Amino acid sequence: MSARSSSALLSFVALVYLGLLAPLVVVVAVSFGPSAAFEFPPSGLTLRWFNEFFASGPFVDSFFRVSLLVGLLTSVLATLLGTAAALALVRFRFFGREALETFFLLPLLVPEILLGAALYLLYARLALQASIWTLLCGHLVICTPYVIRSATAGLIGIDPRLEEAAMSLGATRIQAFFRVSLPLLRSSLLSGAIFAFIISFSDINLALFLSGPQSTSLPVHLFSQIQWQGDPTIAAASTLQIAIIGTLILIVQRMFRLRLMV
Amino acid sequence: MSIQATSASLAAEPRATYGVRARPVWAALAAPYTLFLLVLLIVPFANVAFFSVHSYSPTKILLPELTLDNFAKLFDLYYLRLFGRTFRLGLITTIVCVVLGYPLAYFLARARPRVLAIGLFLLIMPLMVSTVIRVFGWIVILGRKGLVNEALLALGLEPVKLLYTETAVVIGLVNIFLPFMVLPLMASIERISPSLEEAAQNLGANWRQTFARVILPLSVPGLISGCLLVYSISISAFVTPALLGNSRERMAAQQIYDEVLVSFNWPSASSLAIALVALTLVLTFWALFATRRAGRRERAQ
Repeated sequence: MSARSSSALLSFVALVYLGLLAPLVVVVAVSFGPSAAFEFPPSGLTLRWFNEFFASGPFVDSFFRVSLLVGLLTSVLATLLGTAAALALVRFRFFGREALETFFLLPLLVPEILLGAALYLLYARLALQASIWTLLCGHLVICTPYVIRSATAGLIGIDPRLEEAAMSLGATRIQAFFRVSLPLLRSSLLSGAIFAFIISFSDINLALFLSGPQSTSLPVHLFSQIQWQGDPTIAAASTLQIAIIGTLILIVQRMFRLRLMV
Repeated sequence: MSIQATSASLAAEPRATYGVRARPVWAALAAPYTLFLLVLLIVPFANVAFFSVHSYSPTKILLPELTLDNFAKLFDLYYLRLFGRTFRLGLITTIVCVVLGYPLAYFLARARPRVLAIGLFLLIMPLMVSTVIRVFGWIVILGRKGLVNEALLALGLEPVKLLYTETAVVIGLVNIFLPFMVLPLMASIERISPSLEEAAQNLGANWRQTFARVILPLSVPGLISGCLLVYSISISAFVTPALLGNSRERMAAQQIYDEVLVSFNWPSASSLAIALVALTLVLTFWALFATRRAGRRERAQ
């Protein structure tokens, strides 16, 4: 490529990134600004909206008691379900293995908003009340494939002869897995767990249908606050979410291949 | 979300270690999530299919007689317009994503590892932040007193109405789904050896010819799967059109949301959901098999 066309490419790429990041930059800036109208660029610097956030019952509840809790539970359970499923897919040969693998990917192929509606209709027919448990079940469906993906990639990278060697030295198969393979899988499983948390923590499509009055998740609360034209407390809560997710993505990028996760 | 990344059969042949006699072990490992998906994915959609062939009743959940009226209704002018608008916005979003995403994908595919790491972080981090937050950012930018209009006023120009228009919806959709175009494209372009480009240039091709005759044809698998992915996700978008669009010009998912949670016409919502999910599955499986076929062809070479 000539110097001119490559600098044209560079400026185009910079503009695309600018557009990609613009909404996040604006939200963070608004959260630190003094004006109650969503003012950008902000005319000053204040933590007022963060104080408002921590003083607001609905915001604190939706952030900590629903989104954070459901995210952590989803992460733990999805890691257990997903690791087991990945082990079956990678370490065993059986009839229908590829079909099962596609089946396990299915939650990623169905539009989330439709899955939310479908789960809502099922819960309604079974007369189940919306709670953090109904939300948790929905999130497990969409988050586990991320763990399967990272665990699969991790398992493929481990030579199964290591476990065989441990077994020939007298370890049982279970001991061999926990003592030999699991430590080697640490970073891929942790990445999967982190991604499961992130997907659950930022999900709105399922939560719109599965959150009840006592289990409104943060994104759903933000959605209704935006519709009712609330104040920059919305931006403060968003900034906190951006900070948490940004940090987690950095961690995943340091220990695993980020590209495999998306 | 994306379907182009790893899968056991894509990455490598599995190494069977425990042999055939260990069958119950794989079944025990795969059973929990399989059961989970049966109960929380298959049964819910079977239930939706069940609703879709029954009539709506204002007093009961549904009437027991079978009917295809809910599907026939999808051909009414109102629903045809709804589909038309949804497909049109999806198509525009896809085209804009190709135009913006292709140069970015090329840049990342040819970037040095450090630049690539930063570029990927800046691409994936916004993708993981809740849609509702990014849409909120656009409300601030595009609003009546938003960034764009303040800038226009400062330049002595008339403010424009952007928020609650289709333009705003497309801007929001492109912003949110662009990474789904860039990632598969980038994977495709990475596999094209830079020496091919050099060879073309040594033979006298300018960069335009190199792009049109070498890069573009070889990146078609990534282009196809990126387009199918972006299109199929944008036609089921809800939050973006709900917050950035005009309430009278809705997209399909908004109609489903209203019929489920506002008007409680569950059979009608179900037929619409079945139509949309069927279309999406066809498109995404097409993308999945296109990627797998490309991968297989490459291994064969």
